Amino acid sequence: MSAAGVAAPAAGGEGGAAPVLEARGVTMRFGGLQALAAFDLRLEPRELVGLIGPNGAGKTTAFNAITGVYAPTGGEVRVGGARVNGERPHQICARGVARTFQNIRLFKELSALDNVRVACHLGARAGWAAALALTGGFLRDEARLTRRAGEFLAVMGLAHRRDEPAKGLPYGEQRRLEIARALATGPKVLCLDEPAAGMNASEKVALMELIRKIRDDFGLAILVIEHDMRLVMGVSERLVVLDHGVTIARGTPEAVRRDPKVIEAYLGDSYLEERHIAVPDDRPGRKS
Amino acid sequence: MRAPGLALRSLLPFLLGLPALLALQGSLSDFWASVLITAGVNVILAVSLNVVNGFTGQFSIGHAGFMAVGAYTAAKITLAAAGWAPAGLPPRLADGAVFLLALLAGMVTAALAGLLVGMPSLRLRGDYLAIVTLGFNEIIRVIIENTAFLGRATGLSGLPRRTTFAWAWMGVIATVVMARRLLGSTHGRALLAIREDEVAAEAMGVDTTGYKVKAFVVSSAFAGLAGGLLVHLIQLCTPRTFTFVKSIEVVVMVVLGGLGSVTGSAVAAFGLTLALEGLREVQEYRMVAYSLLLIVLMLTRPTGLFGTREAWDWLPRLPWRRRPEEGA
Amino acid sequence: MTEFLQHLVNGLSVGTIYALIALGYTMVYGVLKLINFAHGDVYMVGAFSGYYIAHALGAGDRPTLPKALAVFVGSMVVCGALGAAIERFAYRPLRARPRLTALITAIGVSFLLEYGFQLPSFGLTTQPFPPGPTPRFFPQPFARVSWSLGGVELSNYDVVSFAVAFGFMLLLQLVVYRTRFGRAMRAVSFDAQVAGLMGINVNRVIAGTFVLGSVLASVAALLVAGSRPTINPLMGLMPGLKAFVAAVFGGIGNVPGAMVGGLVLGLAEEYVAGYLLSSYRDAIAFAILIVVLLVRPEGLFGRVRAEKV
Repeated sequence: MSAAGVAAPAAGGEGGAAPVLEARGVTMRFGGLQALAAFDLRLEPRELVGLIGPNGAGKTTAFNAITGVYAPTGGEVRVGGARVNGERPHQICARGVARTFQNIRLFKELSALDNVRVACHLGARAGWAAALALTGGFLRDEARLTRRAGEFLAVMGLAHRRDEPAKGLPYGEQRRLEIARALATGPKVLCLDEPAAGMNASEKVALMELIRKIRDDFGLAILVIEHDMRLVMGVSERLVVLDHGVTIARGTPEAVRRDPKVIEAYLGDSYLEERHIAVPDDRPGRKS
Repeated sequence: MRAPGLALRSLLPFLLGLPALLALQGSLSDFWASVLITAGVNVILAVSLNVVNGFTGQFSIGHAGFMAVGAYTAAKITLAAAGWAPAGLPPRLADGAVFLLALLAGMVTAALAGLLVGMPSLRLRGDYLAIVTLGFNEIIRVIIENTAFLGRATGLSGLPRRTTFAWAWMGVIATVVMARRLLGSTHGRALLAIREDEVAAEAMGVDTTGYKVKAFVVSSAFAGLAGGLLVHLIQLCTPRTFTFVKSIEVVVMVVLGGLGSVTGSAVAAFGLTLALEGLREVQEYRMVAYSLLLIVLMLTRPTGLFGTREAWDWLPRLPWRRRPEEGA
Repeated sequence: MTEFLQHLVNGLSVGTIYALIALGYTMVYGVLKLINFAHGDVYMVGAFSGYYIAHALGAGDRPTLPKALAVFVGSMVVCGALGAAIERFAYRPLRARPRLTALITAIGVSFLLEYGFQLPSFGLTTQPFPPGPTPRFFPQPFARVSWSLGGVELSNYDVVSFAVAFGFMLLLQLVVYRTRFGRAMRAVSFDAQVAGLMGINVNRVIAGTFVLGSVLASVAALLVAGSRPTINPLMGLMPGLKAFVAAVFGGIGNVPGAMVGGLVLGLAEEYVAGYLLSSYRDAIAFAILIVVLLVRPEGLFGRVRAEKV
């Protein structure tokens, strides 16, 4: 309802402007292992792109290279046209790239509200001295951050959990809290790392709907890692498929689905699912 | 209109505290005054170390080094100002002004030392950081022992006795107010986020290294305050007072009270000081008791007495206690 | 030149001691990812147990080789048992807890040993135990013979110390790289959980690592006590910290690294103290530590392991 009120003023009507996020030939090598090879990605404003691939395909590695957790071994990452290679994650976050984590990384002992308030921190204006002197400006700033954080909680349907410690939340709500937290940093690009992992089928569908709604309400570009290809097909405009660190396909969901290389990479997983052969759907904690 | 309001809000704890402390001071015997001053100094140390070890989740075991920096700075200033009596100013007031200046200067130098130590070492992980802070503690000691200006191993003696009960506990109020206000601010939450998950905090836009250094600097400044207060109680400033054994004592207080609990470390520091005062007869057993306490505590209740909670979290919610997030 | 060589001899002799102690740190860190703060105090206990055994045998009055050996072996046994006990009762219960909990416990154990040994004596034995804070004199195991080789002072103590230290380091290399236990140890150090799943008794390997490290510490202590006979309950503090620095310098968790680190630290201390700033000797190790951690935190031979996100 009030979602538009807290939306970041990102990417208003600049159609055809520079991509909000761009990766050019990004390569990640760990010792002798090439985890990601010449990864290319252009993310336009308000675009919803799925990054898919089987286990160990390098999806999370791509995220880590984009968000600055690792400095890319080769290639370059641009956010809003500016090269960000070698910047620390908090700097890249300040440029407008927010993320969630595959293996939920909430601030466990802090309340749901505080988790989000930490992320609102980038918007804080009062410094340490003001906080220690308890100035009026500081108190107004705190009140504003608190209000803002509360709104993000409400958007993600977590208002009733406001004061509960994050560790006590049910699994699905923890995932949503992570998204609320990422949104609170005021991003232009939201990177979601397997947001549906460990959820059951109906929860997954609801989540994908929510992701699309976030995109529409906040006007964000969203990059979603998903393991389950069928799920992500429904919401994304474009897909990028990784396998063994190599981009094996890209394009519309329809085109990607028919790509023989993708079918091969997925054989035994989504391939079978599409033929309605039973595949256990609920496997939390798996790694990619 | 606004400015006086701000000053009042900002200084309220001090304005309330000072008359209370002065009133109490008159009724204290010399013995109790000195015990309570020592306890106050320890409370300052424990609460300020908690900013780094408890809030931020880093592990410093070199607090005594920063204490030393503050102590020597303050001691040099009061020694230099000895006998300084400006015309027209009552001598007690002049002494007080000099002492205040000396304490503040001690805080500044200790903060600078904290910055110097923190900048390179706070990139390190927990246990490495512990050893490096311990190393700096030792380096500070060795430097003092080799500097003629600071009296080498014998130290500086003949300091005026300036630390009264009221001085020490005004310091306590300042430290506790600092810690509580920090914790209630967005900056404090950023520190807690670093403690909870450094990678996630960084990803949410918290400059983790910068924040750790800031926490370290603030913490060191208050260690310097404690140092300045202590040497003007014992009237002697020697490197032996600031070995890493002292640092560990402070760590024990923080751990005992609960990493992350301001009231916890204050209560633990106060309680341990009084308990050790009682054990003065059996001095030799004191450190043994300390170490046993530490081990047993870690094995049975590693979160300390208070955990990360504050004393009033156990009180029933009173109607006049607004929830902090409701702001002003 | 003579001075240079003399520093070389002294530096190597201190360095081998650091190396022996550093091995204990590095092995324990390898399997537990814990800085065993109490390790320097195990070293101190090594010296004292040697002292008590020597007095019980009367080795001080009429030193013989069997008596010296008995002192050696006895002290190693005591330290090995102490190491195993510390692991069993102080660290094992905390293994699943955050690492800082174990570190704080380690500090507690260290203080317990240091101050426990400074308690007033019970007076049950001829030699008072605990020894109290006053330094004691370690009985000489054999007569000192000094040679002067072109001005460089060298004693039979230096020679024996070298030989024994290198012998033990060689032996350790064999244990770590050539035995089943060593292989299990390396497996646990690589990934304790997986090693456990592969049928390795992780508890036994960790306990064994503590025993091994403690035995080496007692060897170091006896070598030091033989040539510099004053011993006191705080004697483990500085060598312990410095040996830790040596372990970090060599790459913590890395066995050859600890040996090299110990030797380099011994030499660096000796040369810097000898030529530049003698009174800053104790600060050198920490200065080195800080530089190493800033420039190459993984140490000389260590590998970086990035945190998985």
